[in-house]
Amino acid sequence: MKNVSGEELNPAQEKLVETYRLLSNVLMGHRDELAPYEERNAVKALAALWQVMNGLDLDPGQVYELGA
Amino acid sequence: MNDTPYWNPRHETMPRDQLEALQVRKLQYLVEWADSQVPWQSNRLRDAGVTANQIASLEDLRRIPLMTRDEWMQGQLEHPPFGPILAAPQDAATRYHMTSGTTGKTPIRVLDSMKDWEWIAEMWCYGLWGFGVRPTDIVFVAFGYSTFIGFWGLHYACEKLGCLTLPGGAMTTEQRVKQIMEMGVTVVASTPTYALRMAQEAKQLGIDLANGPVQRLILSGEPAGSIPATKKLIESEWGAKAGDTAGMTELGTIMIFECAEQPGGTHIIEDHYIEEVLDPGTADPVPYGEMGERVVTSFGRGFIPVIRYRTRDFVVKVPGSICGCGRTFDIFEGGIRGRVDDMKLVRGTNVYPRAVEAIVREHPEIDEFQIHLYTAEGRRDEIELLVEIPGPNVDAEHLVSQLQKELAEAHEGLRFGVKKVDDETLPRFELKAKRLMDERILIGTEGEQRERA
Repeated sequence: MKNVSGEELNPAQEKLVETYRLLSNVLMGHRDELAPYEERNAVKALAALWQVMNGLDLDPGQVYELGA
Repeated sequence: MNDTPYWNPRHETMPRDQLEALQVRKLQYLVEWADSQVPWQSNRLRDAGVTANQIASLEDLRRIPLMTRDEWMQGQLEHPPFGPILAAPQDAATRYHMTSGTTGKTPIRVLDSMKDWEWIAEMWCYGLWGFGVRPTDIVFVAFGYSTFIGFWGLHYACEKLGCLTLPGGAMTTEQRVKQIMEMGVTVVASTPTYALRMAQEAKQLGIDLANGPVQRLILSGEPAGSIPATKKLIESEWGAKAGDTAGMTELGTIMIFECAEQPGGTHIIEDHYIEEVLDPGTADPVPYGEMGERVVTSFGRGFIPVIRYRTRDFVVKVPGSICGCGRTFDIFEGGIRGRVDDMKLVRGTNVYPRAVEAIVREHPEIDEFQIHLYTAEGRRDEIELLVEIPGPNVDAEHLVSQLQKELAEAHEGLRFGVKKVDDETLPRFELKAKRLMDERILIGTEGEQRERA
């Protein structure tokens, strides 16, 4: 997996990216299926992992529509 | 990896050409975001004929008009409470903060979402990690927690780092000093003024701070953190290293920090900001090594896009290579040098409070001071320095005379009155110190009939 600058990510970084994308997909597509404690903690985790995406130059955009 | 001195090793050591390419890409996105979400910004960009896809280099940034604090405040007055600057709906916000209200008619009011708040802490992490703060540290935040943003971001950054974080709000200075000692605190965050205030208090309590547990002080809120004499005094009183940082409510967080190498300035967090230095009169860029006004563009807070914001701060930018830390981030030599609005003209001579403080702090016998401007005989500007010299064994008369001489030498021979005042009569400050009292009726003695600002 490469970032926007064309640099290769290491396996640990790739796992973090996958986790972010998974979280994002859950919040986008399955929000109604989550209990409050699941949903709010997922949003908080997304806000933190967004910083990783940003630091890895993956241009994560904005996530206000997901509540973060 | 945790033994690295960098919070984001790749970005902080990135070659300049790659760093600039990253900034250009982020700028394109920022302009696109502001254009699509904030009609007020969109109008400004349209009037200037700027679109995101036209931005190909950092030179293109100069096509975007400068934004001023007055415009921001006027926008708030016309569209209260936040003005026309929000890029996301208010219900997406989780934090409300405002400026301390020291400049202008109305405070700047801001909102942040959960992601933006994490980013705010992230910027502080660059500074804390870069100055050597680690998860094993115990951090005391000497700050009155309120809607003023102050050290809020630092607090969250310390939690993010895994430090044991002590919120030192709503406490007396005595309580704070005692808790710092009792808890074996290793890092203290405060304004430079308040670091000195706590040191005074410790002396009165018979506490030997210099041999205590504190190893680092994180300073913010005033330019004094980069005034060598003030920093030296703080470091000596605390027996600890003092690192300067600076931020602003308009950005939500810090944009510069001093690294552990202490190069005599503060690195700019250039993977998250573009910091231009312009001539405040012409708005032309000034080269490395020359003083100018900082103009900031921030890539971080999506809720309020900030593009080419005039800060009124004076800075001198130099290449990051002057520091041995390995960062490629440029440096503001001497941190924030003062504010464009701070300069006072006294009988034709420019007087900067920072320069006066630099002289005063060379004399640790002085506990507190105030610069007083007044009009004598209804027509003549005068400047005097009021000082507290509490030590019973200090030759106060000699010190006063020495100060008069040093101040005059540093100000083209301008005559300063220096007066010793009674102990504990000058104001003390926890946040931003205001040590300049301008009570002049008229400014200047050359017939200028303008009322004082």
